[in-house]
Amino acid sequence: MPETMHILLVEPETLLRRTVSMTARSLGMSQVHEAASTDVALRMARQRTFHGAVIAVECVGSGAGRRYDLGLIDELRAAESETGRPMPIAILADQATPTLLAELRERRISRVILKPFRAKVLLETIAGFGGQKGARNEP
Amino acid sequence: MQVAPTPDNEADRLAALHALLILDTPPEQRFDKIARFAASEFDVPVVLITLVDAERQWFKASVGVEICETGRDVSLCSHAILHDDIMVVPDARLDPRFADNPLVTGDLGIRFYAGAPLSMACGVRLGTLCLIDRQPRTLDALELGILGTLRDLVVMELKGQAAGNGDA
Repeated sequence: MPETMHILLVEPETLLRRTVSMTARSLGMSQVHEAASTDVALRMARQRTFHGAVIAVECVGSGAGRRYDLGLIDELRAAESETGRPMPIAILADQATPTLLAELRERRISRVILKPFRAKVLLETIAGFGGQKGARNEP
Repeated sequence: MQVAPTPDNEADRLAALHALLILDTPPEQRFDKIARFAASEFDVPVVLITLVDAERQWFKASVGVEICETGRDVSLCSHAILHDDIMVVPDARLDPRFADNPLVTGDLGIRFYAGAPLSMACGVRLGTLCLIDRQPRTLDALELGILGTLRDLVVMELKGQAAGNGDA
């Protein structure tokens, strides 16, 4: 039996989140663990490991200090360094600024998904995680 | 045009539908948001949550149409509720069941139709969550899965309605 893929999905929009998780389960793709916020996701990430993550990043701060909150990604990457198992992470963002892309490259983000977010694109991304995971496991 | 046959469990089906006390009620956000989400997700101009009554199909939620019901005799959803699977009509003009249907030949101009039947626990199918496009198209396996999920979410809301009415 193949190992079930456990994916972390962090997305505030309930209907999109629920549609992705329910469809992934019904199609036997993976077990998608839903988090509506970064805080919830951090708690979940401390309790179990995931094979991949799809994370909606939001801007925090104001004016010149306005930036995307990448704290969850940093925490996930830090946890990886302990386990030695890098996991694919995709990001949902309103727009891809050069600054954001540079920050994401530093954090080895495998995909950036821009609005409008569609369940199909998220599910295809999650399905792609399976290929990446399999490729890593091959000698 | 082929009028859909009446389901074998029509009396039970209508009893379950009427017990919901949902026909002719105002629009509700919980259904509207699913219809809007489906229209965006599938990039279709028309999405309906239909309930097939004795002589009509009534729309609990709609995107892209102004009318709130049509006759059951012209309803594509009346065909969709005959089976559990999602009914996909890639091009209604090429389908002998629907080619001369006024919903196909008229202003609505249906070409593509995908109807996911709203199956309740008691085995009756009350209506559909359906996608309509004015050009031919198909759905792949992933899209069928997503439509099935959105249908399940509509059914959950209907079951909640039934529970609220004391019919759970």
